[in-house]
Amino acid sequence: MSTVAVVFRKELKDALRDRRTWMIVLATSILAGPLTLLLLSVFISSVEESAAKREVYVANASAAPTLVNFLQRAGANVKDAPADYEAQVKSGRLQNAVIVIPTDFEVKLAAGKTIRLQVVFDETATKSQPITRATLTTLRGFARELGIQRMLARGVSPQVLVAVEIDEVNLASSQARGAQLLFLVPWLALLGSVAGAISVAIDVTAGERERGSLEPLLMNPVSTSHVVLGKWAVVALCSASVVVLTLVGFMIAMLFVRSENLSALMQFGLDEFALFLVMLLPFSAMIAALNMLAATYGRSHKEAQTYATYLAMLVNFTPIVPLFISIRDASWQLFVPAMAQQSVMMRALRSEVVTSSDLFVPGAIALAIAAVALIAQARLLSYERIIFSR
Amino acid sequence: MIEVRNLAKSFQAKVDGKRARVVAVDDVSFVAGDGRITAMLGPNGAGKTTTLRIIGTLVRADRGEVRVGDIEVQSDTRAVRAQLGVLSDARGLYSRLTARENIEYYARLRQVPEHAGRHRLAMMSDLLDMGALLERRVEGFSTGERLKVALARALIHDPHHLILDEPTNGLDVVSTRALRRLLLHLRNAGKCIVISSHIMQEVEQLADAIVIVARGRTVAHGTADSIRAEAGTESLEDAFVKLAYEPMHEAHV
Repeated sequence: MSTVAVVFRKELKDALRDRRTWMIVLATSILAGPLTLLLLSVFISSVEESAAKREVYVANASAAPTLVNFLQRAGANVKDAPADYEAQVKSGRLQNAVIVIPTDFEVKLAAGKTIRLQVVFDETATKSQPITRATLTTLRGFARELGIQRMLARGVSPQVLVAVEIDEVNLASSQARGAQLLFLVPWLALLGSVAGAISVAIDVTAGERERGSLEPLLMNPVSTSHVVLGKWAVVALCSASVVVLTLVGFMIAMLFVRSENLSALMQFGLDEFALFLVMLLPFSAMIAALNMLAATYGRSHKEAQTYATYLAMLVNFTPIVPLFISIRDASWQLFVPAMAQQSVMMRALRSEVVTSSDLFVPGAIALAIAAVALIAQARLLSYERIIFSR
Repeated sequence: MIEVRNLAKSFQAKVDGKRARVVAVDDVSFVAGDGRITAMLGPNGAGKTTTLRIIGTLVRADRGEVRVGDIEVQSDTRAVRAQLGVLSDARGLYSRLTARENIEYYARLRQVPEHAGRHRLAMMSDLLDMGALLERRVEGFSTGERLKVALARALIHDPHHLILDEPTNGLDVVSTRALRRLLLHLRNAGKCIVISSHIMQEVEQLADAIVIVARGRTVAHGTADSIRAEAGTESLEDAFVKLAYEPMHEAHV
C-alpha cells in the first residue's frame, strides 16, 4: 500500500472515532441547512398570507366613511386600528400600515380642500413591505379619483392631470424575487465546507505536533508530500461530506416546504444539486488545504484555531460583498474564490444561464490554490522550526 | 555503527525576550559500535537531545559529520531513516487508536511485510509484557504503558540502529526492568544501540560504552572503568560530576 493510502486510512479511522467530527457534520449539515430553509419558507408564506388578506388598518375610521367605502370597493378588509397603534407598529406586533384620518376629513372633502392623511408604518419591517406598498397604492388611487371628480366638477378634462402615465413593469421574475432571500442557500453550503474542514485540519497538523507524534511520524522513511497528501484527502473528504449532506438536506427540505410560492421561486432539483457539487467540491479541496497550511504554520492548537477563524470569516464575508456594493455578476467575480462560487450558484437558483467558463474557472482556481497550499505545507514540514515548533 | 565527528549546532531562541543564538551542541564526537549499548550521559541541556535529533536526520548540523551504517546522514536521509529505530523525546501516540493500531500504522508506513510485523510485535509484546494492552485504546494509558507502545512502534521494522532518548524517563521499576530486558536482548542480537540518560545507575547497569557530554562537548568517552580511571575517582557518579561540572568551576576561577 502506498504511503498516501496508509496515511489516509489511519487519519480517516482517527477522524471517524472523534466525536467532534460527528457533531460538526451533524450540526452543520443536518440541522443548519434544512432548518434555515424551513424557517425561510415559513417566513415567506406568512408574508404571502398577510398580503393575501389585504387588511387595512384605519385609525378614526368613523370620520371618513367615503374613504372606507373606497377601500372596501378596492377589495381591502378595513379594520379599526388599536389605540396604541404607534407602539404596536414600532414593536412589530402590528405588521400592517395604519391610515390615520383627521377629524375634519368629510368637512374638507365637501369643501373641496386638500386633505392631509398620515400613513404610519415601519420601513424596516421586511414582512410588512408588500402590504404597506399595497395600502399606499390604494390611497393614491383614492386621491386620483377624488382629483378627477373635482376637475370634472370645474369642467376641466382629467387628461390635464395625467402629464405622465407610469406603468409599473417589475422585471424580477417571481423566481428572481425568491432568490434575493435565497442567497442563504449557497452561502450556507460554502460555510458547511469550512465547518467540515476546520477541526480535522487542525487535528492532523497542529494536533499531531502538540501530542508529540509529528517527530516520530517524520522519522519514518516517507516523503513529507505523501504524508501531507494522505492527510489532506481526509480533511477534504470531511469537508465534502458536510457539503453533500447539506445539499441533500436542502433537497429533502424542499419536499416539505410549506409555501407553494417558495417552491416555485427556488429551483433545487437534481440539476442544481449537480451544479452545486461541481462548484463546491473544488472549493472543499481548497479550504482543506488552506486550513491545513495555516494550522501547520501556527505554533500551537490555539494559534491554529485563530488562523482557522480568520479563514472562516473571509469565506463568510467575501460572498456577501457584492450585496453591499450592488455589483451583479461582474466577470472578475469568477476569479475570487467564495465570491465566484456564490455568484454562479445564485445564478443557477435564479434559473439564469450558467456558461461553461462559470463552471470551469472557479473550480480551476480553487484547485490551483489547493495545490500551491499543499506544496507549501510539504516544504514547511522539512523545517526544524516547524517540526519542533521553536 | 554510528560515527559522530565534531558535531556543532546552534539555533535562534528567545532569551529574556530577546532573540539570540543558543549553542546547543559545540563539539560532540563518539563512535557507537555494533552489538553494544552506548550511553550518552550528561546533565539537562547538555546537548544530548539535539545530538540524537541530528543523528535522526530531522535536524541539520552546522558543522561536523554523522554516519549511520557508513551513510552520511544528510546525503540520503530516507536511507538512514530506514535503518534507524528512534524513540525520540516526543513520543506521542494516537489516543483514539488501539496500541496495536498505533504500531501497525508505522509498520505499514515502513512497508514491513504483514506476517513479519505480526511476528515481531508478538516477540516485543512478550519481552515488554504488553499483551494485555494491545487491543485497548491508548487514551488513559500510564507513562510506562505509553512508553512500551512507543518503543514497539519504533522497533517494529527490526532496525539495525537504535536511538533512544531518555527511555526510562517516568518509568516504574517493573517497566524499567522490561525495557532493560528488551535492550539486552537486542544488543545480543548485534544491534547498535545509543541511549541518552542522566541517571547514573541505569547507565552503569546497561552501557558497554559511555560518552559524557557537558555544555555541548564530549568530555569523556570509554567504558565505566576507563572513565573512573581517567577521573581518578571511586564511583562513576564522582567521575561524572568531576568531568561534567568541574571545568566550569575552573572557568569561574
